[in-house]
Amino acid sequence: MTPQIKLKPLVWHPHVAPVELADATSAQLEAMKVTPSAKKVSPYVRTLAHDPESYVARTVLFNAIMYAEGGLPRPDRELGALGASVVNGCRYCAVVHARQHAHLTQSDAVVSAVYLDRPQDLSPRDAAIYAFARRLSVTPSTATTADVQALRDAGMEEAEIVDLIHSIAIFGWANRLMHVLGHATPA
Amino acid sequence: MTDAIDQAAGLDGTDPRHALRRRRPEFVEGAEACRASVLHPADDLGLSAGLRNALAHRMALLNKDDTIAAQYVVMEDFSAVASGATDLPEPLNTIARHVDMVTADPTSATAEHIRRLEAAGLSAPQIVALSELIAYVNFQVRVVAGLRLLGAA
Repeated sequence: MTPQIKLKPLVWHPHVAPVELADATSAQLEAMKVTPSAKKVSPYVRTLAHDPESYVARTVLFNAIMYAEGGLPRPDRELGALGASVVNGCRYCAVVHARQHAHLTQSDAVVSAVYLDRPQDLSPRDAAIYAFARRLSVTPSTATTADVQALRDAGMEEAEIVDLIHSIAIFGWANRLMHVLGHATPA
Repeated sequence: MTDAIDQAAGLDGTDPRHALRRRRPEFVEGAEACRASVLHPADDLGLSAGLRNALAHRMALLNKDDTIAAQYVVMEDFSAVASGATDLPEPLNTIARHVDMVTADPTSATAEHIRRLEAAGLSAPQIVALSELIAYVNFQVRVVAGLRLLGAA
Protein backbone atom coordinates (compact mmCIF):
# COMPACT_ATOMS: atom_id res chain seq x y z
CA MET A 1 0.00 0.00 0.00
CA THR A 2 1.44 3.36 -1.03
CA PRO A 3 1.48 6.00 1.72
CA GLN A 4 -0.78 8.85 0.57
CA ILE A 5 0.71 12.23 -0.24
CA LYS A 6 -1.29 15.44 -0.48
CA LEU A 7 0.63 18.15 -2.32
CA LYS A 8 0.42 21.82 -1.38
CA PRO A 9 0.43 24.48 -4.09
CA LEU A 10 3.62 26.38 -4.95
CA VAL A 11 4.14 30.00 -5.97
CA TRP A 12 6.12 30.85 -9.11
CA HIS A 13 8.66 33.70 -9.17
CA PRO A 14 10.14 34.91 -12.47
CA HIS A 15 13.89 35.32 -13.09
CA VAL A 16 13.05 38.04 -15.66
CA ALA A 17 11.21 41.22 -14.72
CA PRO A 18 7.63 40.76 -16.00
CA VAL A 19 5.85 43.33 -18.14
CA GLU A 20 4.20 45.96 -15.93
CA LEU A 21 0.64 46.65 -17.02
CA ALA A 22 1.29 50.40 -16.96
CA ASP A 23 4.16 49.99 -19.46
CA ALA A 24 2.58 47.34 -21.69
CA THR A 25 2.21 47.88 -25.43
CA SER A 26 -1.21 47.42 -27.03
CA ALA A 27 -0.06 44.03 -28.44
CA GLN A 28 1.00 42.92 -24.95
CA LEU A 29 -2.29 44.08 -23.39
CA GLU A 30 -4.21 42.29 -26.13
CA ALA A 31 -2.16 39.11 -25.56
CA MET A 32 -2.82 39.22 -21.82
CA LYS A 33 -6.51 39.89 -22.51
CA VAL A 34 -6.34 42.79 -20.11
CA THR A 35 -9.68 44.46 -19.68
CA PRO A 36 -10.24 47.72 -17.76
CA SER A 37 -11.73 45.68 -14.92
CA ALA A 38 -8.74 43.34 -14.67
CA LYS A 39 -6.51 44.45 -11.84
CA LYS A 40 -4.16 41.53 -11.58
CA VAL A 41 -2.44 39.41 -14.23
CA SER A 42 -0.17 36.60 -13.01
CA PRO A 43 3.62 37.11 -13.10
CA TYR A 44 3.85 34.12 -15.47
CA VAL A 45 1.52 35.66 -18.03
CA ARG A 46 3.22 39.04 -17.68
CA THR A 47 6.64 37.43 -18.20
CA LEU A 48 5.58 35.63 -21.37
CA ALA A 49 3.84 38.80 -22.60
CA HIS A 50 7.32 40.14 -23.43
CA ASP A 51 6.76 38.14 -26.66
CA PRO A 52 3.03 38.52 -27.24
CA GLU A 53 2.92 36.65 -30.58
CA SER A 54 4.30 33.39 -29.26
CA TYR A 55 2.34 33.72 -26.03
CA VAL A 56 -1.00 33.96 -27.84
CA ALA A 57 -0.24 31.10 -30.24
CA ARG A 58 1.01 28.80 -27.49
CA THR A 59 -1.91 29.49 -25.17
CA VAL A 60 -4.42 28.47 -27.85
CA LEU A 61 -2.53 25.23 -28.53
CA PHE A 62 -1.98 24.46 -24.84
CA ASN A 63 -5.66 24.85 -24.00
CA ALA A 64 -6.69 22.66 -26.95
CA ILE A 65 -4.30 19.88 -25.94
CA MET A 66 -5.17 19.86 -22.25
CA TYR A 67 -8.90 20.64 -22.38
CA ALA A 68 -10.32 19.57 -25.79
CA GLU A 69 -13.46 17.48 -25.40
CA GLY A 70 -13.58 13.76 -26.09
CA GLY A 71 -10.60 11.54 -26.73
CA LEU A 72 -8.14 10.80 -23.97
CA PRO A 73 -9.67 11.25 -20.48
CA ARG A 74 -8.36 14.37 -18.75
CA PRO A 75 -6.64 12.58 -15.85
CA ASP A 76 -4.54 10.67 -18.39
CA ARG A 77 -3.46 13.96 -20.00
CA GLU A 78 -2.53 15.27 -16.54
CA LEU A 79 -0.47 12.13 -15.87
CA GLY A 80 1.37 12.65 -19.18
CA ALA A 81 2.04 16.26 -18.13
CA LEU A 82 3.25 15.08 -14.73
CA GLY A 83 5.65 12.50 -16.20
CA ALA A 84 7.17 15.14 -18.48
CA SER A 85 7.45 17.65 -15.63
CA VAL A 86 9.28 15.11 -13.42
CA VAL A 87 11.83 14.38 -16.16
CA ASN A 88 12.30 18.06 -17.02
CA GLY A 89 12.65 19.10 -13.39
CA CYS A 90 9.78 21.60 -13.34
CA ARG A 91 8.62 21.35 -9.72
CA TYR A 92 5.95 23.98 -10.21
CA CYS A 93 4.35 22.26 -13.25
CA ALA A 94 4.60 18.88 -11.54
CA VAL A 95 2.69 20.06 -8.48
CA VAL A 96 0.02 21.89 -10.48
CA HIS A 97 -0.70 18.87 -12.67
CA ALA A 98 -0.37 16.32 -9.88
CA ARG A 99 -3.00 18.30 -7.99
CA GLN A 100 -5.20 18.43 -11.10
CA HIS A 101 -4.92 14.66 -11.40
CA ALA A 102 -5.81 14.18 -7.72
CA HIS A 103 -8.76 16.56 -8.10
CA LEU A 104 -10.09 14.96 -11.29
CA THR A 105 -9.79 11.40 -9.93
CA GLN A 106 -10.69 12.31 -6.33
CA SER A 107 -7.70 10.23 -5.27
CA ASP A 108 -4.08 10.83 -4.24
CA ALA A 109 -3.05 7.28 -5.16
CA VAL A 110 -1.41 7.93 -8.53
CA VAL A 111 0.29 11.13 -7.42
CA SER A 112 1.62 9.37 -4.33
CA ALA A 113 3.08 6.52 -6.39
CA VAL A 114 4.80 9.08 -8.66
CA TYR A 115 6.18 11.25 -5.86
CA LEU A 116 7.42 8.26 -3.86
CA ASP A 117 8.93 6.80 -7.05
CA ARG A 118 6.89 3.60 -6.75
CA PRO A 119 5.66 3.08 -10.35
CA GLN A 120 5.04 -0.58 -9.44
CA ASP A 121 2.04 0.67 -7.40
CA LEU A 122 0.36 2.14 -10.51
CA SER A 123 -2.36 0.32 -12.48
CA PRO A 124 -1.11 -1.18 -15.77
CA ARG A 125 -2.75 1.68 -17.69
CA ASP A 126 -1.27 4.43 -15.49
CA ALA A 127 2.11 2.67 -15.47
CA ALA A 128 2.09 2.57 -19.29
CA ILE A 129 1.17 6.27 -19.52
CA TYR A 130 3.79 7.30 -16.96
CA ALA A 131 6.59 5.23 -18.51
CA PHE A 132 5.82 6.55 -22.01
CA ALA A 133 5.71 10.14 -20.71
CA ARG A 134 9.08 9.76 -19.04
CA ARG A 135 10.82 8.15 -22.00
CA LEU A 136 9.38 10.54 -24.59
CA SER A 137 10.54 13.50 -22.47
CA VAL A 138 14.22 12.58 -22.34
CA THR A 139 16.55 14.23 -24.90
CA PRO A 140 16.80 12.43 -27.25
CA SER A 141 13.63 10.43 -26.74
CA THR A 142 14.07 6.85 -25.51
CA ALA A 143 10.42 5.86 -26.09
CA THR A 144 9.97 2.63 -28.05
CA THR A 145 7.29 0.73 -29.93
CA ALA A 146 7.00 -1.46 -26.81
CA ASP A 147 5.87 1.63 -24.87
CA VAL A 148 3.17 2.30 -27.48
CA GLN A 149 2.13 -1.35 -27.45
CA ALA A 150 1.76 -1.19 -23.64
CA LEU A 151 -0.69 1.70 -24.09
CA ARG A 152 -2.70 -0.33 -26.62
CA ASP A 153 -2.63 -3.37 -24.34
CA ALA A 154 -4.07 -1.15 -21.59
CA GLY A 155 -7.02 -0.40 -23.90
CA MET A 156 -5.96 2.91 -25.38
CA GLU A 157 -7.17 3.71 -28.92
CA GLU A 158 -4.92 5.25 -31.58
CA ALA A 159 -6.61 8.67 -31.36
CA GLU A 160 -6.18 8.64 -27.58
CA ILE A 161 -2.48 7.88 -27.99
CA VAL A 162 -2.20 10.90 -30.30
CA ASP A 163 -3.80 13.00 -27.53
CA LEU A 164 -1.33 11.58 -25.01
CA ILE A 165 1.67 12.30 -27.25
CA HIS A 166 0.52 15.92 -27.44
CA SER A 167 -0.04 16.30 -23.70
CA ILE A 168 3.48 15.00 -23.03
CA ALA A 169 5.02 17.11 -25.80
CA ILE A 170 3.32 20.34 -24.72
CA PHE A 171 4.99 19.90 -21.34
CA GLY A 172 8.32 19.50 -23.09
CA TRP A 173 7.36 23.07 -23.99
CA ALA A 174 5.76 24.39 -20.78
CA ASN A 175 8.48 22.97 -18.51
CA ARG A 176 11.13 24.73 -20.59
CA LEU A 177 9.38 28.04 -19.94
CA MET A 178 8.38 27.76 -16.29
CA HIS A 179 11.49 26.07 -14.96
CA VAL A 180 13.91 28.13 -17.06
CA LEU A 181 12.28 31.55 -16.62
CA GLY A 182 11.52 31.23 -12.90
CA HIS A 183 11.47 29.14 -9.76
CA ALA A 184 8.92 27.86 -7.28
CA THR A 185 8.59 28.27 -3.51
CA PRO A 186 5.96 27.00 -1.06
CA ALA A 187 2.85 29.19 -0.94
CA MET B 1 -2.14 18.79 -47.51
CA THR B 2 0.76 17.97 -45.22
CA ASP B 3 2.47 20.22 -42.70
CA ALA B 4 5.92 20.28 -41.08
CA ILE B 5 4.97 17.65 -38.50
CA ASP B 6 3.55 15.26 -41.13
CA GLN B 7 6.63 15.69 -43.30
CA ALA B 8 9.03 15.07 -40.42
CA ALA B 9 7.09 12.00 -39.30
CA GLY B 10 6.94 10.71 -42.88
CA LEU B 11 3.14 10.94 -43.24
CA ASP B 12 1.67 11.51 -46.68
CA GLY B 13 -2.00 12.29 -47.20
CA THR B 14 -2.92 8.59 -47.37
CA ASP B 15 -1.30 7.56 -44.09
CA PRO B 16 -3.86 6.67 -41.39
CA ARG B 17 -1.90 8.83 -38.94
CA HIS B 18 -2.45 11.84 -41.23
CA ALA B 19 -6.22 11.36 -40.86
CA LEU B 20 -5.82 10.69 -37.14
CA ARG B 21 -4.11 14.04 -36.67
CA ARG B 22 -6.96 15.80 -38.51
CA ARG B 23 -9.44 14.55 -35.91
CA ARG B 24 -7.86 17.27 -33.79
CA PRO B 25 -7.70 20.20 -36.25
CA GLU B 26 -7.02 22.58 -33.36
CA PHE B 27 -3.78 20.69 -32.61
CA VAL B 28 -2.69 20.79 -36.26
CA GLU B 29 -3.52 24.46 -36.81
CA GLY B 30 -2.26 25.41 -33.36
CA ALA B 31 1.14 23.80 -33.92
CA GLU B 32 1.52 25.55 -37.28
CA ALA B 33 0.60 28.93 -35.75
CA CYS B 34 3.17 28.34 -32.99
CA ARG B 35 5.81 27.39 -35.53
CA ALA B 36 5.29 30.69 -37.36
CA SER B 37 5.33 32.66 -34.09
CA VAL B 38 8.76 31.36 -33.06
CA LEU B 39 10.48 30.99 -36.47
CA HIS B 40 9.38 34.07 -38.38
CA PRO B 41 7.25 36.30 -36.16
CA ALA B 42 5.95 39.63 -37.47
CA ASP B 43 8.11 41.29 -34.79
CA ASP B 44 11.34 39.32 -34.42
CA LEU B 45 12.41 41.33 -31.33
CA GLY B 46 15.94 41.50 -32.74
CA LEU B 47 16.41 37.72 -33.11
CA SER B 48 16.58 37.19 -36.86
CA ALA B 49 14.81 34.38 -38.70
CA GLY B 50 18.27 33.19 -39.79
CA LEU B 51 19.42 32.81 -36.19
CA ARG B 52 16.14 31.21 -35.14
CA ASN B 53 16.37 28.59 -37.89
CA ALA B 54 19.99 27.84 -37.08
CA LEU B 55 19.21 27.34 -33.39
CA ALA B 56 16.23 25.12 -34.28
CA HIS B 57 18.52 23.04 -36.49
CA ARG B 58 21.03 22.76 -33.64
CA MET B 59 18.33 21.59 -31.21
CA ALA B 60 17.02 18.99 -33.63
CA LEU B 61 20.56 17.60 -33.90
CA LEU B 62 20.79 17.42 -30.08
CA ASN B 63 17.58 15.39 -30.24
CA LYS B 64 19.30 13.11 -32.80
CA ASP B 65 16.64 13.98 -35.38
CA ASP B 66 18.33 14.68 -38.71
CA THR B 67 15.00 14.76 -40.54
CA ILE B 68 13.70 17.63 -38.42
CA ALA B 69 17.10 19.34 -38.53
CA ALA B 70 16.89 19.33 -42.34
CA GLN B 71 13.58 21.23 -42.15
CA TYR B 72 15.41 24.17 -40.64
CA VAL B 73 17.33 25.55 -43.58
CA VAL B 74 20.56 27.13 -42.43
CA MET B 75 21.96 30.25 -44.02
CA GLU B 76 25.72 30.28 -44.47
CA ASP B 77 26.26 33.01 -41.87
CA PHE B 78 24.84 30.72 -39.21
CA SER B 79 26.34 27.38 -40.23
CA ALA B 80 28.57 27.15 -37.13
CA VAL B 81 25.63 27.91 -34.81
CA ALA B 82 23.51 25.29 -36.53
CA SER B 83 26.14 22.56 -36.48
CA GLY B 84 26.72 22.73 -32.71
CA ALA B 85 29.90 24.80 -32.39
CA THR B 86 30.78 26.05 -28.88
CA ASP B 87 33.49 28.53 -29.82
CA LEU B 88 31.26 31.17 -31.38
CA PRO B 89 31.58 34.94 -31.08
CA GLU B 90 29.41 36.56 -28.40
CA PRO B 91 26.52 36.82 -27.85
CA LEU B 92 26.04 33.73 -30.03
CA ASN B 93 28.16 31.52 -27.81
CA THR B 94 26.16 32.30 -24.68
CA ILE B 95 22.89 31.84 -26.60
CA ALA B 96 24.04 28.53 -28.08
CA ARG B 97 25.17 27.13 -24.73
CA HIS B 98 21.86 28.11 -23.18
CA VAL B 99 19.95 26.45 -26.00
CA ASP B 100 21.97 23.26 -25.53
CA MET B 101 21.41 23.17 -21.75
CA VAL B 102 17.66 23.80 -21.92
CA THR B 103 17.24 21.22 -24.67
CA ALA B 104 19.33 18.43 -23.19
CA ASP B 105 18.98 18.96 -19.44
CA PRO B 106 16.31 21.53 -18.51
CA THR B 107 16.39 20.34 -14.89
CA SER B 108 19.77 22.03 -14.43
CA ALA B 109 18.46 25.51 -15.35
CA THR B 110 18.89 28.21 -12.69
CA ALA B 111 18.53 31.98 -12.40
CA GLU B 112 22.26 32.20 -13.15
CA HIS B 113 21.61 31.05 -16.72
CA ILE B 114 19.25 33.98 -17.26
CA ARG B 115 21.85 36.36 -15.77
CA ARG B 116 24.37 35.07 -18.35
CA LEU B 117 21.97 35.85 -21.20
CA GLU B 118 21.48 39.35 -19.80
CA ALA B 119 25.24 39.81 -19.45
CA ALA B 120 25.59 38.83 -23.12
CA GLY B 121 23.24 41.70 -23.96
CA LEU B 122 19.87 40.01 -24.38
CA SER B 123 16.76 41.97 -23.41
CA ALA B 124 13.84 40.48 -21.48
CA PRO B 125 11.75 40.15 -24.69
CA GLN B 126 14.67 38.38 -26.40
CA ILE B 127 15.10 35.99 -23.47
CA VAL B 128 11.40 35.11 -23.56
CA ALA B 129 11.38 34.76 -27.37
CA LEU B 130 14.45 32.50 -27.20
CA SER B 131 12.75 30.39 -24.51
CA GLU B 132 9.63 29.96 -26.66
CA LEU B 133 11.73 28.92 -29.67
CA ILE B 134 13.61 26.33 -27.60
CA ALA B 135 10.35 25.05 -26.15
CA TYR B 136 8.61 24.80 -29.56
CA VAL B 137 11.38 22.74 -31.16
CA ASN B 138 11.42 20.35 -28.21
CA PHE B 139 7.63 20.05 -28.52
CA GLN B 140 7.78 19.34 -32.26
CA VAL B 141 10.50 16.72 -31.82
CA ARG B 142 8.33 14.80 -29.33
CA VAL B 143 5.14 14.95 -31.36
CA VAL B 144 7.04 13.63 -34.36
CA ALA B 145 8.82 10.92 -32.33
CA GLY B 146 5.47 9.75 -30.97
CA LEU B 147 3.81 9.69 -34.39
CA ARG B 148 6.67 7.65 -35.82
CA LEU B 149 6.32 5.08 -33.03
CA LEU B 150 2.58 4.91 -33.65
CA GLY B 151 3.27 3.91 -37.25
CA ALA B 152 6.07 1.47 -36.49
CA ALA B 153 4.41 -0.47 -33.67
